[in-house]
Amino acid sequence: MQTRQSNFNEIVMQAIFFLSALISVLAVLAICLFLFMRGIPAISEIGFTDFIFNEKWGPVNIPASYGILSMIVGSIYVTAGAIVIGVPIGLMCAIFLSEFCPDNIYKIVKPAVNLLAGIPSIIYGFFGMQVIVPFVRENFGGNGYSILSASIILGIMILPTIISISESSIRAVPESYAEGSYGIGATKEETVFKVMVPAAKSGILTSIILGIGRAIGETMAVVMVAGNAVMPLNKIELLKPIRTLTTNIVTEMSYASGLHESALISTGVVLFVFIIILNASLSLISSKTQRN
Amino acid sequence: MKKSKLLSIITLALMLSMVFAGCTQETPGTPAADFDFDKDITVVARDAASGTRGAFHEIMNIIVKENDTEVDKLVVGALEFDGTDKVITAIEGDKYGIGYISLGSVSERIKAVAVDGVEPTVENVRSGSYSVSRPFLLVTKGTESKLVKDFLKFTESAEGQAITNEMKFIGAIDAPGEYTASGMSGTIKVAGSTSVAPLMEKLQEAYNELNPDVTFETQAQGSSQGIKAAIDGSYDIGMASRELKAEEASELNRYVLAIDGIAVIVNNENPKSDLAADDITNIYIGEITKWNEVK
Amino acid sequence: MDRTLDNLKQRKVKAFLFKSFVWFCGILTVGILIYILLFILLKGVPKINLKFLFGEYNSETLSVFSSMVTTVQMIVLSLLISVPIGVFCAIYLAEYAKRGNKAVKVIRLAIDTLAGIPSIVYGLFGMIFFVQILGFRASVLSGICTISIMILPVIISSSEEAIKSVPDTYREGSLGLGATRLRTVFRIVLPTAMPGILAGIILAIGRIVGETAALIFTSGTNVLKNPSLNLMASQRTLAIHMYMLASEGLPHSRDMAFATGSILILVVFVVNYATTKLAGRIGRSQ
Repeated sequence: MQTRQSNFNEIVMQAIFFLSALISVLAVLAICLFLFMRGIPAISEIGFTDFIFNEKWGPVNIPASYGILSMIVGSIYVTAGAIVIGVPIGLMCAIFLSEFCPDNIYKIVKPAVNLLAGIPSIIYGFFGMQVIVPFVRENFGGNGYSILSASIILGIMILPTIISISESSIRAVPESYAEGSYGIGATKEETVFKVMVPAAKSGILTSIILGIGRAIGETMAVVMVAGNAVMPLNKIELLKPIRTLTTNIVTEMSYASGLHESALISTGVVLFVFIIILNASLSLISSKTQRN
Repeated sequence: MKKSKLLSIITLALMLSMVFAGCTQETPGTPAADFDFDKDITVVARDAASGTRGAFHEIMNIIVKENDTEVDKLVVGALEFDGTDKVITAIEGDKYGIGYISLGSVSERIKAVAVDGVEPTVENVRSGSYSVSRPFLLVTKGTESKLVKDFLKFTESAEGQAITNEMKFIGAIDAPGEYTASGMSGTIKVAGSTSVAPLMEKLQEAYNELNPDVTFETQAQGSSQGIKAAIDGSYDIGMASRELKAEEASELNRYVLAIDGIAVIVNNENPKSDLAADDITNIYIGEITKWNEVK
Repeated sequence: MDRTLDNLKQRKVKAFLFKSFVWFCGILTVGILIYILLFILLKGVPKINLKFLFGEYNSETLSVFSSMVTTVQMIVLSLLISVPIGVFCAIYLAEYAKRGNKAVKVIRLAIDTLAGIPSIVYGLFGMIFFVQILGFRASVLSGICTISIMILPVIISSSEEAIKSVPDTYREGSLGLGATRLRTVFRIVLPTAMPGILAGIILAIGRIVGETAALIFTSGTNVLKNPSLNLMASQRTLAIHMYMLASEGLPHSRDMAFATGSILILVVFVVNYATTKLAGRIGRSQ
């Protein structure tokens, strides 16, 4: 009797566990469904090429134009800038933490990296607006609200992602690799650079892709430092303002209506597609490493 | 071994001091009175949601209407911000910047210039000699509830108008009436312009002192949002800081809350204190790009 | 012979440069953090006063009280939704799912996707689905629903890690004593994995506190004068309060944005401290 009861419990609970697990799938499906449901009709109304390959964004003009090419390019530039700034520093910091850092300093640096990860993006944005923008204006010229400022702030924001994942993947390289390298007379620096880092490359690559994902999707920090000007492609410069996909949504959504609102949701769809591509490449990397 | 350690510590110290020297350089307020007229003008605008932008661009002919078309000619590369304080911050920090904000938000952080020789003061806006102004509107749809009517009556009363004038806006009612507390209760939902919101907040506070049982819910995300919310009925009152478009006006009741001047602002170090309206327009449409081209 | 000596010297110089660069980057990271923290705290903490913390919101105090209450409300309610779902999902993945199962692959893909979606896209989804289609309007409820989905992957992955790190001998012992699988999970596995699960929950709290983009279109930017727990009211959280203060044109709103930022940073401190403490406990228990 008791076993039947507990068998019954077991089955019921197992079903509940499974259903809970299915909720994530449902959530992803719902997000896809509703975003596409609202976004796709707008894209077809505007025309796919007029939406993606047109650099003119003038939703309040009559007749209105809804081209987001400039923002797609803007997002790519800003993200690339963040990678150029964030990856070398982050990777070096990861090497520092995993190979060179004395224990007592590790106790300071590691929590600092964790804290950096926990700081809300609004604080990064505010800091960027009050510090990075004037800094760029004084030292590099232009008015400070620029691709460069956005790249710097995003570069800082992706540091913790790059550092913690790269660090753990460097730590995961078997001891024997390093010993072999020392055995043939290499210095510690050479060993790290030529043996450890190449051996950890898939983990490092993962960290970079996650960093790209964070940078391309970041909104509130970018909106405060990028200046939000829609720039024609031939006028985009490092020290000039820029509008990205995310900031386009956040500055205009509150008052948009009709086709304008749908066009902004479509902007979100394009962003979503970018993220899906990034995720796909991530799982590609992880399946490759598993096979090796 | 010891030597190399010492060396590395020195290099580190050098590198770090370089970084922090860079960081400290940005402290503003250095007495660099040398204003370089050959520098590019930094044009600062508001986001397209803003009523301030709608009104300013319309008055200054930055929006060009031809037959059925209507194009905002704002120069490529103009900064667009979704809040008054961001505009102030940008102009405060950039010697070569120009922007526009509500007259009520002018502070010593920036300098408001005269337009065609007329100072942006409350008196000049009231007399109509300062031409860059727009109405602050409250809009409702259909017949208002008693509560909303009561609040609107308060905003148009002597008390409400006194608050309006105190905030450096210009009360629009010629002979304001008296208001007595009605003791009503309920919730009033208000949405719209970020420029009207500070005034609205003060009015709500004063109204609450008389009628403590009334609660307000305020969303400030731009004039167009407020108008939209009033039309679709999701909010009781919409705040707008620009004139209504014809198709909007046909659906709404329109109450003029106040008149607000739009101040053209520049950095405190900018020697200009008077700009011609034509020059301002040319700056905003990109015909003028440097300060030495300004008369 | 000379050449090899030169070569050796060169190598040493290179090694030295490399080493100092690595040190530099490590210290730079800490420097950036300290600079950000000091910048906000030094300007913000002196501005904090009692009226700002616990007063009624008006254009003078710009009080954070009602935003704080809403932030706490949002944390509690969204955790109530996503912790059971997340932990159950983790139990399924770690204890019940068979390796190579198709369904498991799909579920993992979904979790990875959720983890990668930017918060602005969650905001758009929340606006379309909860605010417009389900008719919750811009309200705390819409915000909570959106946030609950957003923190799900954090809770699932940390819980799964924690459950997987429970040694198999514990399970075998329990099963050997005649306990059912379910009993083993609830009496042995979950309690042992609790610090890890808690660490995940605290991480999720950090995310809720700092979130802006997903909430600005779902719970809205309204601020109530006095704290309210009304789920259908639109009310901002701390982070949105800071964003609005940084955008508004009131004379002292920027100062108060610094003050709000300081409070946010203090919360982040507490969250981080708690996570490290819990994570340390897992480390030691193994």
